[in-house]
Amino acid sequence: MNSTSDVGAETTSGQHLSFRVRQARYALPIELVREIIEYGQITSVPMMPPCIHGVINLRGNVVPVLDLAARFGMSLTVPGKRTCIIIIETSQEGTAQRIGLVVDAVDAVLDIEPAQVEPAPPFGAGIRTDFIAGMARDEQGFTIILDVRHVLSLDDLLQLERALGDVG
Amino acid sequence: MLDADQWSQLLASFVEEARDLARQAEEYLLLLDTQPGNEDAINGLFRAMHTLKGSAGLFSLTPLVDFTHRLENLLMAVRDGQRQLDPTLISIMLRCVDEVGSMIELIDPASGQLEVDTTHQQQLLQALAEHCGEPSPVALIPVVAAASGCSSKGQLQRCASCEADGAWHISVRFHPDLLRNGFDPAAFLRYLQRLGDILDLQLIDEALPALTELDPESCYLGLEIGLCSAASKAEIEEVFEFIRDFCTLRILPPDSALADYLELIQALPETDGRIGEILVNAGLLTATELAEGLALQGAQPEQPQPLGSLLVEQGMVVAQAVDAALNKQQTVREKRLQESAQIRVAAHKLDELINLVGELVISAAGAHLRARANGDGACMETTGLVNQHVEQIREAALKLRMIEIGDTFNRFHRVVRDVSEQLGKNIRLEIRGADTELDKAVIDKLGDPLTHLVRNAMDHGIESAAERLAAGKPAEGRLILDAFHESGMVVIEIRDDGRGLNSARIRAKAVERGLIDPAANLSEAEIHRLIFAAGFSTADTVSDLSGRGVGMDVVRSAIDALRGTVEIESRAGLGSTFRIRLPLTLAIIDGFLISLGEDHFVIPLDMVTECLEVDGQQLTGASYGYISLRGRPLPCLSLASHFGLPESTEGRRNIVVVSQGRQQAGLIVDHLHGELQTVIKPLGRLFQHLQGIGGSTILGTGQVALILDVPSLFRHLQQTVDAHPADPTQNLPHPDVKGR
Repeated sequence: MNSTSDVGAETTSGQHLSFRVRQARYALPIELVREIIEYGQITSVPMMPPCIHGVINLRGNVVPVLDLAARFGMSLTVPGKRTCIIIIETSQEGTAQRIGLVVDAVDAVLDIEPAQVEPAPPFGAGIRTDFIAGMARDEQGFTIILDVRHVLSLDDLLQLERALGDVG
Repeated sequence: MLDADQWSQLLASFVEEARDLARQAEEYLLLLDTQPGNEDAINGLFRAMHTLKGSAGLFSLTPLVDFTHRLENLLMAVRDGQRQLDPTLISIMLRCVDEVGSMIELIDPASGQLEVDTTHQQQLLQALAEHCGEPSPVALIPVVAAASGCSSKGQLQRCASCEADGAWHISVRFHPDLLRNGFDPAAFLRYLQRLGDILDLQLIDEALPALTELDPESCYLGLEIGLCSAASKAEIEEVFEFIRDFCTLRILPPDSALADYLELIQALPETDGRIGEILVNAGLLTATELAEGLALQGAQPEQPQPLGSLLVEQGMVVAQAVDAALNKQQTVREKRLQESAQIRVAAHKLDELINLVGELVISAAGAHLRARANGDGACMETTGLVNQHVEQIREAALKLRMIEIGDTFNRFHRVVRDVSEQLGKNIRLEIRGADTELDKAVIDKLGDPLTHLVRNAMDHGIESAAERLAAGKPAEGRLILDAFHESGMVVIEIRDDGRGLNSARIRAKAVERGLIDPAANLSEAEIHRLIFAAGFSTADTVSDLSGRGVGMDVVRSAIDALRGTVEIESRAGLGSTFRIRLPLTLAIIDGFLISLGEDHFVIPLDMVTECLEVDGQQLTGASYGYISLRGRPLPCLSLASHFGLPESTEGRRNIVVVSQGRQQAGLIVDHLHGELQTVIKPLGRLFQHLQGIGGSTILGTGQVALILDVPSLFRHLQQTVDAHPADPTQNLPHPDVKGR
């Protein structure tokens, strides 16, 4: 459990899974990734922030699905042929939790050396700075390594939800 | 000896057993409080202490052994009628049992060490001694070493009572594994001495091999014991209870006939001559009898006659005596059968099973759906049958987790006794519906909220004796714990006949704490509900028991967590009732599947009372309103608009009428799909604040459906209506509205 618990900021090197959301390239430490599944059969959950796409049945377990694009403040993903759900496992506040991330396409597994990683620029990356653990540089440009703890911050999401609840 | 794993397992089961025994002891004491002469209770209490001491001895938990030993001595005196269990003594004994309980909890599960501070124990023992008016009536009786019994080898010292009663003859052959399993034969001899005097003790060392072949960890010994005791055979057997699996035990009653000894001779592994000799030496058998017996044994090598008929034939005993003995034997056997019919199973194993059954329910439903889609009749029949069996398995599996609530209720006898003593009130607890069963997981979480409610009822609800008499009520207050099933739910009631809730005071307090607006117009029931608000307490002084303002909100959240509800019914001067409604189980429910557009939802079936069809044209798409159902107004909620989903444009729409307690409401939905078994899957923390959704389930198609949380929907409906009490634009036009 510990290996996946506080991964994010510290793990900026080693194997990463890279994927695309809209035009930008992102990556996550491979240890977090449990599996990649086809997009489909999502049950929407009412009264949740738009980035919570809904829940899916993952072999008998109900797993929430988060739309990364919506989480980054972009419009909701329109599912296409290459749309995938990346199932990751994190442990937040001591409980292991699986969550699915909707991405536009999964690219490859990258070996990222610590030397390749640059700190996040204060602006310009297109997403909130605290979502970025680092920027990996290669021939094609930059891949944004996500800080899962902040992207999936329950408090953050719950606040969104509560704010929504108050309005409704 | 034992390896560490086995040992810690043994220790764990000892701790478990010890807890049970301490609880039993407490129950017996409380029973004795009301029925001082109850012999079964005294014996039960004694047995509990005795067994506890015995098992504690096996684990060398010396402080526990010493302490229970003293209690046991005192109880002996009570059992023999030398001492009376008066209420004060019971109070001290209860505290002693508490001490035993806390000692059990202090046992280090890893090392098995028990470190206790003996001062508290000393105080308790002191109190016992003082109460009994003797300097030290419960002083430890020195335990006589087993070896001292051996000194009288071959001698028969008949005491006066033995002349009348005769001596028991006990033959024990220990199995080689005895020592390896952590048992000390001498310990059992010591306990045996508690039952009576050991008149004769012979060591059978025939099996002892030559020194070179001797395994120091094996036990090669056997014992022939002559015991002078008034105890019954069962009691003597109990001494050896823990090593029954590790020894061969024969107990012969006093003055057994020759045939009994013959049987004994045949049953034991040693050569006939050797055991015969011992019996002769012990004076239990004359040399002639032995010779006769051996001759008899030789004469009937193939078909030994049943012992009973042989005895009758020989005119040694009358037939009735044999019948009585046989009956006794039968009941003992049945009792043992019942005991072994109980199996302790780790709770997580049951959970695993129930999870699997849940998966099975889903996949069986999927198979049936597939068969129906293919239109394969034979296949549908088979899957239908499978579903039936799955349904039975599901029910059986869930029943495994069901336990009676009685144990939980009975614990409150003690609470009520202690608290009434503390408060100086006279309160009687009545328990009803103790055999009502519900899920263990639910029962486990019910203890705390129930304790809060019971304490509150005693502290705030029931008045002092003087006040009660002045109000024309009997001086003794009544507190009733009741449980029963009602429409698929378990209802638990805590009723008292006290003064009832003081609405004016609650209101004043709530205003003072800023919980409500001083001008708020609240109904009686709403004021009563205020006591569940966090930080609310009307008590002017903070007592030990209640008044800290934590409690009622804890009760509320604990019940909420169990998907239950709690309501209050209170009448000034007559008493109040707290009614807790709980689901039978947390794992699987019967559901009713509905859909809104593409989305499927499950409504717990036991909440659904009926379904109606209405013309969609008459519903405007407003969020709520009411229709007339058989002349009575029925509040309705459009689920689609509540959940922010697009409203259907279909012509005919359905209303599902749901009820909870005395409330009823209609839920407007698009389609009805009928009943299904619903395995509840938690939705996780992300969704925990969702209003109106309690969980999720997986349909036969593999799709996830959300389960509606009807109580929270009701609350939402209530709040919305309260927020806009007279907003006519919000109301739905309806087919047969009766106006406002």
